[in-house]
Amino acid sequence: MQKKVLSEQALYYGNVKMPEHWEIDRNDLAHHILHSNLTNKKLQFSKTLSKLNTYLIDFNNLENKIALVNKNAFGNIYNPNEISSPLLNIDPIDLKNSPDFTMLYGVKVKDCFVRIYYENNRHKGNSWDIELTDNKFIMFPSINMYVIFNNQKENLNFIQTITYEHI
Amino acid sequence: MAHFAKISEENKVLSILKIDNSNTVNSDGIEDESVGQQFLETNNDWPRHLWIQTSVNTLNNQHSGEGTPFRGNYAGIGFTWDSENELFWSEKPYASWVKNMTDVRWQSPIGDPPAFTAEQQSQNEADTHQWGYGWNESGQSWDLTDAKA
Repeated sequence: MQKKVLSEQALYYGNVKMPEHWEIDRNDLAHHILHSNLTNKKLQFSKTLSKLNTYLIDFNNLENKIALVNKNAFGNIYNPNEISSPLLNIDPIDLKNSPDFTMLYGVKVKDCFVRIYYENNRHKGNSWDIELTDNKFIMFPSINMYVIFNNQKENLNFIQTITYEHI
Repeated sequence: MAHFAKISEENKVLSILKIDNSNTVNSDGIEDESVGQQFLETNNDWPRHLWIQTSVNTLNNQHSGEGTPFRGNYAGIGFTWDSENELFWSEKPYASWVKNMTDVRWQSPIGDPPAFTAEQQSQNEADTHQWGYGWNESGQSWDLTDAKA
């Protein structure tokens, strides 16, 4: 008996391990996310965001053999005890121009986890929970809906999202 | 153009960038790798010691022209930088293969595959057969197969 895998729904996660003294300046990212949210303007390009983005592209290419190019980047702030509405980064009626992968990065987070929904053949509504911590990234197919939980009472949670196209 | 490999702290090649030669010359007009490394650190946000110059003309420690081979091989994504010997190594193809330090390439523990016989060679040329040797890792041997069989 032989087996052929036709498609795969893989999640990639880990900490961003930059060289010593070249770590991601998460305060700078948080500042840009805050500014973007307060002014209701698109997230500005920054050197820090570029560093993070380049790291993810380089290491996904090296370790997972996935070549990525950017689609979009935005930052979100979640209030204490907030549960986001279900999030989806594809446009179901414009899949051609939708991203392949969604990447979430913990900028300043505490007691935060992400619930990722997926289908498994005829079994729908499955979910997998993963904790998001400072400097950790989670990347998954953009076709998967997800919800973000801020499970503590005191702090805002800052999350950077970058979406990618697989080439 | 000058080519530089961007490497991780674990000495794995992440990407290759080419920059104008003018960005690699010092104040005396002499090409200096450290000038290129500084340029790349400033413009690409990655520490200078993790940018290693590489030559597009070098393969298996041979220069494609008249020049001198440089650092064993032109670096590629996934290659390993051997800082001790200053060589770029491709990914190891099989667990049992060993380094050939002279040619800067991986080699099976029993060496290269045997040469084709004159008959196999003529059959390949006539395109009636397509003889080729493939490495059999579990048997530790070179297996001869005919892709047209």
